[in-house]
Amino acid sequence: MSLADSVRANLGPTFADDLRTRSDEELIELFKLRPDLINPIPADLTTLASRATSAPSLIRAIEGLNQWQIQVLEAASLFEDSFTCAEIVELTIKGAEFVVKELTNLGLLYKDGKKFRIARAVRDILGDYIAGLGPSVAQVIDFKALTKAPSGAIELLERLMWGPPRGEVGDIHKKGGVIEWLLKNKFLIPVDSKTVLLPREVALHLRGGKLHKSYLTGAPSLEGKSVTQGESDRAAVASISSLLRLVSELLNFWAEETPTALQSGGLGVRDLKKASEHLSAEENYTAFIAELAYQIGVLSIEADGRILPNANFDIFQTKNFEEQWWELASCWQSSSRVSGLVGRVDSRNVTALGSELDRANAARIRRIIIDSFEVGISPTLDSLTNTARWSYPHRRALTINSETVTWMAREAEWLGITGAGALSSFGKKFRNGEKRLGIDAALPAPVDHILIQGDNTAIAPGPLTVEISRQLSTFADIESRGSATVYRFSEGSLRRGLDHGHTGEEIRSFLKEISKTPVPQPLDYLITDVAKKHGRLRVGFANCYIRCDDEAIIAAILKDKNLEHLRLRQIAPQVLVGDAESSDMMDELREAGYFPSGENGQGAVIQLPVSHRAKARPKPPRIVGEIAAPSEDILKVAIRTLRTGEKSAPKRTSGELPRSSSSETLDLLNEYLGKGIALRIGYADTNGAVSLRIIDPLSISLGTLIAKDHLTNGITPFKIARITGVTRA
Amino acid sequence: MSDGPLIVQSDKTLLLDIDHPLSTECRRAIAPFAELEKSPEHIHTYRLTSLGLWNARAAGHDAEQVIDTLLKYSRYAVPNALLLDVAETMGRYGRLRIESHPIHGLILISTDVAVLQEVIRAKKVAPLLGAKIDDETVTVHPSQRGHLKQALLRLGWPAEDFAGYVDGQAHSISLKEEGWKLRDYQRLAAEGFWHGGSGVVVLPCGAGKTLVGAAAMAHAQATTLILVTNTVAARQWRDELLRRTSLNEDEIGEYSGAKKEIRPVTIATYQVMTTRKNGVYAHLDLFDSHDWGLIIYDEVHLLPAPIFRFTADIQSRRRLGLTATLVREDGMEGEVFSLIGPKRFDVPWKEIEAQGYIAPADCVEVRVTLTDHERLTYATAEQEEKYRSCSTTATKKNVVLALAKQHENDQTLIIGQYINQIDEIAEALGVPIIKGDTPVKEREVLFNQFRTGELKCLVVSKVANFSIDLPEASIAIQVSGTFGSRQEEAQRLGRILRPKSDSRSARFYSVVARDTIDQDFAQNRQRFLAEQGYSYRIIDADELIA
Repeated sequence: MSLADSVRANLGPTFADDLRTRSDEELIELFKLRPDLINPIPADLTTLASRATSAPSLIRAIEGLNQWQIQVLEAASLFEDSFTCAEIVELTIKGAEFVVKELTNLGLLYKDGKKFRIARAVRDILGDYIAGLGPSVAQVIDFKALTKAPSGAIELLERLMWGPPRGEVGDIHKKGGVIEWLLKNKFLIPVDSKTVLLPREVALHLRGGKLHKSYLTGAPSLEGKSVTQGESDRAAVASISSLLRLVSELLNFWAEETPTALQSGGLGVRDLKKASEHLSAEENYTAFIAELAYQIGVLSIEADGRILPNANFDIFQTKNFEEQWWELASCWQSSSRVSGLVGRVDSRNVTALGSELDRANAARIRRIIIDSFEVGISPTLDSLTNTARWSYPHRRALTINSETVTWMAREAEWLGITGAGALSSFGKKFRNGEKRLGIDAALPAPVDHILIQGDNTAIAPGPLTVEISRQLSTFADIESRGSATVYRFSEGSLRRGLDHGHTGEEIRSFLKEISKTPVPQPLDYLITDVAKKHGRLRVGFANCYIRCDDEAIIAAILKDKNLEHLRLRQIAPQVLVGDAESSDMMDELREAGYFPSGENGQGAVIQLPVSHRAKARPKPPRIVGEIAAPSEDILKVAIRTLRTGEKSAPKRTSGELPRSSSSETLDLLNEYLGKGIALRIGYADTNGAVSLRIIDPLSISLGTLIAKDHLTNGITPFKIARITGVTRA
Repeated sequence: MSDGPLIVQSDKTLLLDIDHPLSTECRRAIAPFAELEKSPEHIHTYRLTSLGLWNARAAGHDAEQVIDTLLKYSRYAVPNALLLDVAETMGRYGRLRIESHPIHGLILISTDVAVLQEVIRAKKVAPLLGAKIDDETVTVHPSQRGHLKQALLRLGWPAEDFAGYVDGQAHSISLKEEGWKLRDYQRLAAEGFWHGGSGVVVLPCGAGKTLVGAAAMAHAQATTLILVTNTVAARQWRDELLRRTSLNEDEIGEYSGAKKEIRPVTIATYQVMTTRKNGVYAHLDLFDSHDWGLIIYDEVHLLPAPIFRFTADIQSRRRLGLTATLVREDGMEGEVFSLIGPKRFDVPWKEIEAQGYIAPADCVEVRVTLTDHERLTYATAEQEEKYRSCSTTATKKNVVLALAKQHENDQTLIIGQYINQIDEIAEALGVPIIKGDTPVKEREVLFNQFRTGELKCLVVSKVANFSIDLPEASIAIQVSGTFGSRQEEAQRLGRILRPKSDSRSARFYSVVARDTIDQDFAQNRQRFLAEQGYSYRIIDADELIA
């Protein structure tokens, strides 16, 4: 028998052996259950087996297990050798045999004849104290003795019974106590002078032979308030319509008042607050909307940091409601970004659109939470958390707890996947992957008219068409939002409209066209008044002016061919302005034969300065030549370097670096560890160049020498493999 | 989706489409819990506020009813968060109750131990409470009943007051319905108040609030203290009570700057109550001088802050507040709620107008173009003088004179802010003037002459803003006002809204200088009226005179 065969005989069949017995269908199922195994396609079954039993792949597979499956897997992990289904059932409950089969299909367990074995690495992945059990002691324990246990002993054991099995007891050597009795009867085993462990056999005995406190073979059913389908759909419709409205509104707002991303990336707290105020929405809702818009690609962060809607937004707006919603909801579901984290203060603030929102398992958790919802019931937070946690009991980047469930449930509600806390009919169809959700029919149809009232407000009695709302919001302020919109016309808002290039007449006729009611006279007056005032004051830019009481001279300058290149503009009969600097302008005018003089801010004539002066701030050049005196610190370092060099000097002159065999090296180092005696070592750097170092060895661990380096006077690690030799300094 | 008349906005406003066939029904349904914010011609705006919802709870409505109503009439799906918020807010009212205990006296009681703990621990509340009796009960210092209610409201846990009221000294009062009858809404208002115990009745100017007060007194059958804004109003209350009730002259006292009578029914002015001598309120004893069974506050929205403080101390007496609007420019609506009581009755102006109880009004803004010289004066005036400068111009005066001439056959009131200006106008027109320094006697004579028609035109300063009953005034010309005060505008319009004997409509002119701050203020002033459905027409002064 070869060595390999004997090992195999000892260890029993391997996973590869099991794979060889599997049919094509079974292998296909394995690939379906664990898609990571097929990429890249394994060369043979041995490769597949080793890939499937590697830790990363097993971790991934185990992450897909629910609580019941984990419990069975934990039971299986207690067996060092092969085990039968019956043994698992005995440790757990009936029904475990089905789970054993599932786990076998997944390749976490594999067959050994009629028995099963567990993939070796699974045990490590499950952790130290599997199911809260301590190690096995492989000793016979007399459980009858427990009936004679001194008082307090059982209570003490019960505290450790469900794990963790380690307990601090003060002093295990204390005489006459409960601890002494328990240790003597092997119900506890000592770890160190203060710590004891409950052996696996004792814990299982106390647990009554079952591994876990309780077993749930299916997810716990939801508890909460019952909600009719009508109620939840109605609430969902309200959520969907406000979500779609707010996405558009937020992006339009940012198109006008563009925020700039923080240096560290992401949307600043102040900008988030401002946007929330504009939308009159909660900040976490605004962050969620911004994130969604960012993820579906209608919002971009420009190279200069400006956060702006992009061309996709215009396309997005032309889509119907259902398409818009589908895009948002499916992106949300599959995203690894968790907008609930926004506003957290970890090492620094977590911001929307920032780089710290990604959590690898976010999409999986989201899916599980969506799947946990049911039609007709609005679960309590606890109940929803329990149900979801049953499906995903793992602790990873993101864990299912009341916080994550709050976030996800809140977001599902905002999206209308749930309405009033229960799964809406849209959510149900969406979950089932149906394409037609009926959102368009359920949302209010856009209206194309407004009602203008005597108090200078206009009301759009429903969602306005994109074009009208865009026009209207240029010259009216939004006073109230919701399914309907209330606009207010004021002097300020109308002026803004005029600034945007509308004329009073245009505004009036636009209002006449879209209003179902006549435009009230006071509004008409207001528009006329503002239009009349608008633009009466003009502001422009000029660098200098020319003024002269004699209009003839002004006219002459304006017509002068020699001065044409100055592009002077006449803004009053006696005033010209130009873009040239005033000093240049005066030179040009003199050259053309005029006699200008300068004027200061108060209008007084200023004389030309006798000689010119530079305007730039003085920046004297550095003086080269003198050498600055060295600082105290530099002097100290120099001395230290010199002294170190001194110590290594005698050998260096002989051109000899210490050289010793590796065992000698270790012996020498061990001898001098921590004695404060300097050694000389030759040390190879990463390029192989060997240098001489003077050190005091302190300790050795993991192939590394920790030593005080005389050169730097600091504690430095040295790789022992790179030490070429050691001698006394 | 229903096609209802109501649109529920996410910012808690409710838009009611009044052209919808169900609008009247819907208005009735939402009125108990939503505050009418404005009622212009097409869409009325209501708002859901904590106070409004608590008012509704106090009136016996529960959250389920409110939510059902919203869902029933809503045109679009109602945001769930809003419904949850309504339920949550309404659930807060009545969690704490103030009751009268046979042994411990006044107690604060709650079945929700956590809430009681929360409020007991609050810094502002703790000193108002006495010993804890058990987990659910704590005693209240009787003198702190009002302060406690105020403090609890601020914490967001308004207490329901079941401690009851003292009956007060009995005094027989009955309505003398001879040749007139209490209007339906007046009766409903008085009953609503009486069943609620204490509270506020909101009725437009001219809708007969005095009679609601009289009806409340008839319910109470007890000695009554009436607090009014000024002496003229006090005299009017007295006259009205003499005419409409069984009370005689000896039973009604006036407590004002001029007289200090304390009778079974005493009418006191806010001013005298808040007069201080050597830093103390000298007339505070009035509250204790009689075992009052009822205290009536006229024009609650003007109630001065010190009176709130006194009111906090008399929570065991029934209190009736009367007002045209709950909007207070100082934002003390919460004090009104906790100290006087929740709103017990409310009906919009236009509805009463439609019933013919107040006259329809035509509001006209007359735009006056200033002369170049006046514009220049205005442009260079100091900031604080700008309003005076533009609102007292000669051009404006001429327009007022022309208007007065046009209406020389109507009963015309000319109202202004600046005494010099109205003096000039009165002189130019040769009509009497009433201003701050006009003796009360003389004022009454003039008002009487105006009422009887002996006097066609009267110039008044802002002393006449409130509570002066001039039923026959049909034209008001406003020359200048207290800057942009919306509430003043409403009061002034109210002067001409009393129904006329020949059901003429009233006209309210506001003379405004174009392109000045006057115009800006006018816009602000008119907002309240526009929101009440009185929209302004604008005409040019030149057109008018031509």
